[in-house]
Amino acid sequence: MAITRDDFPLPDVHDPLTAPFFAAAARDALEIPRCTACGTYVWYPAPTCPECGSGEIEWVAVSGRATLFTWVIVQRAFLPAFESMVPFVTALVALDEDPAVRLCTYLVDVADPAVLTANAPVHVEFRDLTFATVPGRSVRVPMFAVGAAS
Amino acid sequence: MTTAADWGHAAELDDVNGEVAIVGIGETDYTKASGRTAAQIGAEAAERAIADAGLEPRDVDGLTFSGAFADFGVAEFHAHFGTDHDMWSSPWGGGMAWAGTAPYLAAGAIARGEARHVLNVFPVAWATQRSSMTGGPGEVHAQQSLKQNLEVPFGFFPQPVYFASIMRRHMLEFGTTREQFGAVAITLREHANRTPSAVFRDKTLSLEQYLGAPMLADPLCLYDSCPISDGGAAYVTTSLERARDLARVPAVVRGVGEGYSGSGGHWAQQRAFTSTPQVFSTPGAFAMAGITNDDVDVLTCYDPFTIVSLMQVEDMGFCAKGESGPFAESGALRFDSGRLPYNTHGGLLSHAYVLGIAHVIECVKQLRGVAGAQVPECEVAVYGGYTGHMASTLVLTRS
Repeated sequence: MAITRDDFPLPDVHDPLTAPFFAAAARDALEIPRCTACGTYVWYPAPTCPECGSGEIEWVAVSGRATLFTWVIVQRAFLPAFESMVPFVTALVALDEDPAVRLCTYLVDVADPAVLTANAPVHVEFRDLTFATVPGRSVRVPMFAVGAAS
Repeated sequence: MTTAADWGHAAELDDVNGEVAIVGIGETDYTKASGRTAAQIGAEAAERAIADAGLEPRDVDGLTFSGAFADFGVAEFHAHFGTDHDMWSSPWGGGMAWAGTAPYLAAGAIARGEARHVLNVFPVAWATQRSSMTGGPGEVHAQQSLKQNLEVPFGFFPQPVYFASIMRRHMLEFGTTREQFGAVAITLREHANRTPSAVFRDKTLSLEQYLGAPMLADPLCLYDSCPISDGGAAYVTTSLERARDLARVPAVVRGVGEGYSGSGGHWAQQRAFTSTPQVFSTPGAFAMAGITNDDVDVLTCYDPFTIVSLMQVEDMGFCAKGESGPFAESGALRFDSGRLPYNTHGGLLSHAYVLGIAHVIECVKQLRGVAGAQVPECEVAVYGGYTGHMASTLVLTRS
């Protein structure tokens, strides 16, 4: 079964599990779901807390400060949408609030990927995500840049 | 500090040591796009495995296959062989991690008297399907909503990117080098060069070629990644008692293990980022078999990327965590002089991307003494299966 959503690979901002993430990003806020019972960040989002089983989960703002856990310089376009973007740097960043929470993101404004270092401080930068294959559409998302603060 | 207990677990399995054995193996040609369907490939593999065991199709009264692909099930079996007898079956067999646990399912069915001869079959035609832009490893993942919303839009997709990110972290944490990943790719290519059925039988690979190859997802280059193939294989399992009456030297099932990652198939969120659930799977399998790492003569592991080989060699206890790079570079994985002859058919990287089924076949061939890159006096062969969220371990011995 192929994916038929015509704005793929933009995120589906209406998917109930992740809609609040994109709603927050639209306000230039980074929010992560957290269990109100035990305080654990529930990432990836899930209907119940994997630690305590509670179903009471709220989306809370986080600082947008993180460290660079790992990164990949993507040179082969694995989807048609990526063809006009390669090479680009996709990364996992570990949030300062809880490094077990890793966001998949783009590392932006990287002049030279050769100087990137493990666990370097990074900070959130909100950008409009667009793909040439999905003309006229965009979704505001958190991307990250190297450095302690914007 | 991450401890083992908080990122995964082992399945509890019954002791099946010595109950069953693999008595027949069958393989199709392994190729690039063949124009054949997976069902056709599966039927041919099944036919050859049954013949190798010295059985007739109607003797096969059990079938394990991959429910996720479901290309060759009971209906296809009967359609191909013109049979209609009752068959016990399970969709939890086939390839990947399940290529290692299918004999455990067979042991259960045989012990319960539900089957006598159980066929496990796994065909794949992704090379053919790719030309029509359907199927393939990426599509399965793109359909998962969390990946579709939180990974794919950010360029974290598909498998070469996931494993490049793990490869990078392994390099950062342990100092693993490109030359060390290259040693894996080159060793496996040399093994494939000695294996008549390998897709890359006639193509050699040097370190210079490896280091000069195009990057797909830096630090992962072309030769860190396996090709897409068409092909399939099958094997027949029966009771050890029955196996003694058949023609082939039985490959006796001595231990089976099964381990799971708590983060499922979401590599990005796995707590122990540079590990596989072999950490949980191997100890139980080795304990069931009554073996230690030193007893293993041949190891085959599911190896879509060089990093997956190195992680499993560590996680199965053949070297310390983080030490697999120097281990591979020392020549330890070579069939002729290494401490741990590894993927002696060439693995997914250089033999064929048939998702692990050929790895189990290679173990059986090594035990029979008929492999291309044959290890002398191979008595114990182990398969390490891997499917992201799950790992399996299968210990086979000669007689």
